[in-house]
Amino acid sequence: MTNSALHMSNVRKVYRMADTEVVALDHAELTVASDEIVALVGPSGSGKTTLCSIAGGILSTTEGSVTVGDEEITAYSDKQLTVFRQNQVGFVFQSVNLVPFLTARENLLVVDELGRREGKPARQRADRLLEELGLTDRSKNLPSQLSGGQKQRVAIGRALMNEPKLVLFDEPTSALDTELGSQVMELIRSEMKSRGTAAIVVTHDERITAYCDRTVHIIDGVLAA
Amino acid sequence: MFLALKEMARAKTRFGLLIAAVGMLVFLILFQQSLQNGLLTSFVGAIRNQSAPVLVYTVDGQRVIQGSVIPAGLEQQVGANTDVGRIGRIGLGTFTAETGDGERFDTTVLGYQTPDLGAPTELIAGRFPSAPGEAIGSDADASQGFGLDAVVTIQPGGYELVIVGLARDVQLNAGPTLFANYDDYVDAVRSVNPDALDPLPNILAVAPAEGVADTELVDSINAISQDLDALTRTEAADQTPGVSQVRQSFQVIFLLYGLVIPCVTGLFFLIITFQKSGALTLLHAIGAPVRRLVTSLLIQAVIIIAAGFLIGLAVYAPVSQRRLGGIPLRFETNAVIFWAILLMILGTGSSLISAKRVLAIDPIEATTGGANQ
Repeated sequence: MTNSALHMSNVRKVYRMADTEVVALDHAELTVASDEIVALVGPSGSGKTTLCSIAGGILSTTEGSVTVGDEEITAYSDKQLTVFRQNQVGFVFQSVNLVPFLTARENLLVVDELGRREGKPARQRADRLLEELGLTDRSKNLPSQLSGGQKQRVAIGRALMNEPKLVLFDEPTSALDTELGSQVMELIRSEMKSRGTAAIVVTHDERITAYCDRTVHIIDGVLAA
Repeated sequence: MFLALKEMARAKTRFGLLIAAVGMLVFLILFQQSLQNGLLTSFVGAIRNQSAPVLVYTVDGQRVIQGSVIPAGLEQQVGANTDVGRIGRIGLGTFTAETGDGERFDTTVLGYQTPDLGAPTELIAGRFPSAPGEAIGSDADASQGFGLDAVVTIQPGGYELVIVGLARDVQLNAGPTLFANYDDYVDAVRSVNPDALDPLPNILAVAPAEGVADTELVDSINAISQDLDALTRTEAADQTPGVSQVRQSFQVIFLLYGLVIPCVTGLFFLIITFQKSGALTLLHAIGAPVRRLVTSLLIQAVIIIAAGFLIGLAVYAPVSQRRLGGIPLRFETNAVIFWAILLMILGTGSSLISAKRVLAIDPIEATTGGANQ
């Protein structure tokens, strides 16, 4: 059992377009402790989302190794990565976050449906999460009936449904106003800390870093602590 | 199943309309199948369901019983063929017949010499004629005054025929049809035209000698004279002028329907796959195997086709028990099974285009917002 939720070693990600190579991530070294919240800050196109996607098993590396919890995922196939995402990580994306034809509660339960299929324990966990997130009275609402902040809270609940070792937040407050953004970040911090779950919060807003334990900057694919 | 059913439950109108559209098309297909079979049966049922295995026309008759007349010489030549086991005459006349309630109908009277060479193969009520003046009617005409024990009067001569038996699917030319002994047919002709000579048979009903197949007998008779046109019972029914044209017309219609349903279903799923590409990408990004997403799509396709088929069937079942003009319709079980299987294959097959799109989902689009584009 390691103490780190994520360990990235010498990770490179290169995109090949015709004859040119674009280095999105250059020899990145990053370790996130098991209950640590790391802010990943950088301008647009700096490689934040690429790093997050590699850590979450959405993208594979060109070079280097990635370990999440005890799982070395570097050489995983697409199928293995899908199972890994199902069980080991939680995601809160910037743009697409909820399934529009599922209620708030079902958006949480779908995680169980896709993976472990625990049934009753999963339903109880979903109800508990909704309660913690202050969404009990909204559990039967469709995403179209929720405000921006409520949608983001449901997405946080969904990201925690599979009890992940690591949760990846990609610009979680970009669509919210300052006050709502602060509330969401407080919620993220309290949920992560109460569970002892690690998180990476991708942002280009320096104010967000106040809610994180550590800030890592990234520019042109290069990490700088 | 969870995703498939939840989505359908949340978009009842959208999926309901598609199910209704499939149901309407299924009803039209099945109804037209009944119409085709009813139409053909009412045209040539009397040929298909009579007992003679081989029918001999003259070439001049062009495979129409009324147009064929067998001269005595040709009749003797056929009778002398060693491949012929038994032979009988069949005469056909169309008369004005008056039913018991005074209504008059153009009625076909088919006269046969022996019951096993030209009479209906089986009766559904009553008995075969055993005395002069008795006839077998078609159950399709029973409601028009041609039922069991009805007395039908051939006009203007006043010759009476009593219906003592009823057979199913034995109409000719979509009108009232009676089967009688050949002598009764001759008497009916004479009653209408007392000056007429004995009518020549229109066609000959022939059974093969022992050890001779029906098709061998057909070849053997056709080799006797270029004026003879022998056909098996099935050929005689299918090659009656107009039958193949009717069948081809309906087949074109069925082909179009067979194309419309998969097109409608396929396009529907393609559109909703585009519409929900964001949700599908999100689901794949959080760990849904694409196989599961494709399965969800196929479950929806199966539910839509099955529900549409059941609705179509529910409308078709009562309609198939009615008559359309003079054409009796019937519930076509084989057609129902055939179309159920075919439409399920075509409908789910067409949704595979959408499945292909689902299989191509890249979870990275969840991070770039590309799924929404």
